[in-house]
Amino acid sequence: KGRRRQSRGSRLTGGLRGGPHLTVGHCHPLVVQAAHEQNQVLNTNSRYLHDNIVDYAQRLSETLPEQLCVFYFLNSGSEANDLALRLARHYTGHQDVVVLDHAYHGHLSSLIDISPYKFRNLDGQKEWVHVAPLPDTYRGPYQEDHPNPAVAYANEVKRVVSSAQEKGRKIAAFFAESLPSVGGQIIPPAGYFSQVAEHIRRAGGLFVADEIQVGFGRVGKHFWAFQLQGKDFIPDIVTMGKSIGNGHPVACVATTQPVARAFEATGVEYFNTFGGSPVSCAVGLAVLNVLEKEQLQAHATSVGNFLMELLGQQKIKHPIIGDVRGVGLFIGVDLIKDEATRTPATEEAAYLVSRLKENYVLLSTDGPGRNILKFKPPMCFSLDNARHVVAKLDAILTDMEEKVRSCETLRLQP
Amino acid sequence: MPPVTSDAQGKRTPPRGITGERPGPPRQSQAREGGAQTRQGRPRGARHPATMCELYSKRDTLALRGKHIGPSCKVFFASDPIKIVRAQRQYMFDENGEQYLDCINNVAHVGHCHPEVVKAALKQMELLNTNSRFLHDNIVEYAKRLSATLPEKLSVCYFTNSGSEANDLALRLAQQFTGHQDVITLDHAYHGHLSSLIEISPYKFLKGKDVKKEFVHVAPTPDTYRGKYREDHEDPASAYADEVKKIIEDAQSSERTIAAFIAESMQSCGGQIIPPAGYFQKVAEYVHGAGGVFIADEVQVGFGRVGKHFWSFQMHGEDFVPDIVTMGKSMGNGHPVACVITTKEIAEAFSSSGMEYFNTYAGNPVSCAVGLAVLDVIENEDLQENATRVGNFLTELLKKQKAKHTLIGDIRGIGLFIGIDLVKDHQKRTPATAEAQHIIYKMKEKRVLLSADGPHRNVLKIKPPMCFTEEDAKFMVDQLDGILTVLEEATGTKTESVTSENTPCKTKMLKEEHGELLRDSITDSKENSSRKRNGMYTDTHALLSKRVKT
Repeated sequence: KGRRRQSRGSRLTGGLRGGPHLTVGHCHPLVVQAAHEQNQVLNTNSRYLHDNIVDYAQRLSETLPEQLCVFYFLNSGSEANDLALRLARHYTGHQDVVVLDHAYHGHLSSLIDISPYKFRNLDGQKEWVHVAPLPDTYRGPYQEDHPNPAVAYANEVKRVVSSAQEKGRKIAAFFAESLPSVGGQIIPPAGYFSQVAEHIRRAGGLFVADEIQVGFGRVGKHFWAFQLQGKDFIPDIVTMGKSIGNGHPVACVATTQPVARAFEATGVEYFNTFGGSPVSCAVGLAVLNVLEKEQLQAHATSVGNFLMELLGQQKIKHPIIGDVRGVGLFIGVDLIKDEATRTPATEEAAYLVSRLKENYVLLSTDGPGRNILKFKPPMCFSLDNARHVVAKLDAILTDMEEKVRSCETLRLQP
Repeated sequence: MPPVTSDAQGKRTPPRGITGERPGPPRQSQAREGGAQTRQGRPRGARHPATMCELYSKRDTLALRGKHIGPSCKVFFASDPIKIVRAQRQYMFDENGEQYLDCINNVAHVGHCHPEVVKAALKQMELLNTNSRFLHDNIVEYAKRLSATLPEKLSVCYFTNSGSEANDLALRLAQQFTGHQDVITLDHAYHGHLSSLIEISPYKFLKGKDVKKEFVHVAPTPDTYRGKYREDHEDPASAYADEVKKIIEDAQSSERTIAAFIAESMQSCGGQIIPPAGYFQKVAEYVHGAGGVFIADEVQVGFGRVGKHFWSFQMHGEDFVPDIVTMGKSMGNGHPVACVITTKEIAEAFSSSGMEYFNTYAGNPVSCAVGLAVLDVIENEDLQENATRVGNFLTELLKKQKAKHTLIGDIRGIGLFIGIDLVKDHQKRTPATAEAQHIIYKMKEKRVLLSADGPHRNVLKIKPPMCFTEEDAKFMVDQLDGILTVLEEATGTKTESVTSENTPCKTKMLKEEHGELLRDSITDSKENSSRKRNGMYTDTHALLSKRVKT
């Protein structure tokens, strides 16, 4: 499960890189079986009544706060975020969106417009998009030594909203990945989301929590990453994808009755050809069953904690590691050139990843400085896998440091 | 109602039926046998034992749907929805085992649950299903096979999961390549449900509160039956193409620049429209002249549906080659697969921005294995030839019906893509909207599934799985004939020859029933939905709590 075989039989560990949309492990037999059984019987569209879609919706609703009880099924996280945008706009009657810097919400035209990670290199920022600083307490404007970073970052959102309103613009939504991944495995400080929600709702907007990368128990303690922000925080719309179908194209938008009704009131039907098909729902249900049966959430907590501990030890040992942050099996290792300035060690990170690949460990980097090692493996990742990866990492970092040291020595020689 | 229980693994046990027995597991072999028998003429409407263990009764399914599924997601036959639990080839089965002839689902292109496609999916799912950032044979093999079906210059593939994603990417490609913004679309077009596509789909934005955007220009749809230039016009192709030319000139005079002309090769939501020969060539000429590109949306109609050709746009001649082709729906026989195919030049311009295009699921080994299996079946089972043969046969039968029934204004189609345009009046061609709704409900009673579309919801759309037979065609037409005859008698409309068996004693009852249905249909045919249209019952049946407990 945690391993992958090459054509000639040598093993590649981890799927650390290809991981996030494979929640329960590559080719999990129960998920495959569910898909196969349903494929043989019926796979058609949601304009016919069928048990799978309603059963799946009901099961999903049980994982969420009670008011998030209406579902739309689609095929990709991108489709989900696009629909979330439409829902927010129709409900509020407003157009503008507030997003976090370095956010990535999908590859569709509408989503590139709200993804600074993309639009900064393409068409630029549209006038209806407003960017707030990423609540990164390691590298952002308010860091771990700040007395209350949650309030400080939330105030930035408040400022962005006010400034938009002064220009006569109206906020439809605040979009955020519950744990920004592409932005560098960021864990927003506790209390941030609640306060942001307050500012956004006061302005008449909705809070959209993008759980596409991080939902389905990855954080261990909770099923949804937004739940880390406390019981009193409830988004208005939640989008999910990637891990939901263990690789099968499934995605979903969950929202409240009022938002759904406002959308219906437009009088225009929403039809997605493949979304909510019996097979997609059977697959989704199987994934939920496996998560429960194999207790993968608890597993994510124990392995995740263990991995964080090991990485914490590595941080002490190797100065290139500036920060280790994470929760459950969502971890980031921030590589820096310099402790004081925290300059991203971009080239070193790229080199490290290629050395790891030679050692049959797949990892990727991200963050604006491409310097953060992203860990988000299949949830069946084991303690042994964790030991193995860290051992490799340790060896390579040690080797890299040796090389640097020996170069300096050479340079110092007369 | 017996409880739905869960065992320790959270596996649900279906409720016991009236006899106290639980329904058995799905009998897959029987399902396939059923298909084979049907092909050889199993009696229609014969009861088939239930083969799916139902989790919920139909009523409960409906109630749960009302509770948990977005109300904008509509069901067919809103005042009496169908619960489908099984399908094989061109037949669908409801929870009581009733068999329906499926004339709607072009998505189940090679037949519902085709065993070869199912097998291919299983084989690959057991082995590997990951993203396209790793090298894999399936995606390259599939791209190769697809591009082999197209003119040579269309050689670069981008895989996506849905026709909507494909059309969105097509727009991005066009805008990036040309450096222009504006898009010309056809009236009544439908290109998808994404924000960007609603903007270019008059079928959608004209219905809702959305306003036409400035960068979108709407050309008259080349409908030679109900459009601006009809079959009696000396050159409708040029006339319609000149409309596009005029739009381009107007746009350019306001200093706007054209990125693309996009059109479904044959409009389906727009009413089964077949553009006149020569139209696309001329439009392409004008669009290219303005620095734009031609996007052919084959999402509804590709993969041999027209019979004679693999792609519908190929009907317009070898000299017509679009710049971008989008495909979806039928591509994976129900599995979410779609694709954009374009030229090297356009692809290079897109990548020159330096920005990666990554689609998490698209091009995965399973989707490609499924796509390849579908291509194989189309070839091995000679489905294109079948589409031509059965399509022609069906069209002939329908033409006879047209001669017989005044409700039928036009029969148009090619291969297994056919439309029956219903009119109240042949002179004015007034759409017979309520009648169309009535007919599809009546056809459903006769166990034939049809849908109605077009801007006036009066065109009966026929685009069944490609394994549709002549026998199916005859059956469908016989039912339609019966219904039309009864309808015309009830409304006092003359038929050419009165051969119906259902006459005098039933006429009064039918008149009342007809009147009622027409009233209901009129409500149903509007998009502003009544609660009934949502499929939600508002009677005393209690809504279920989160876990079904009875």
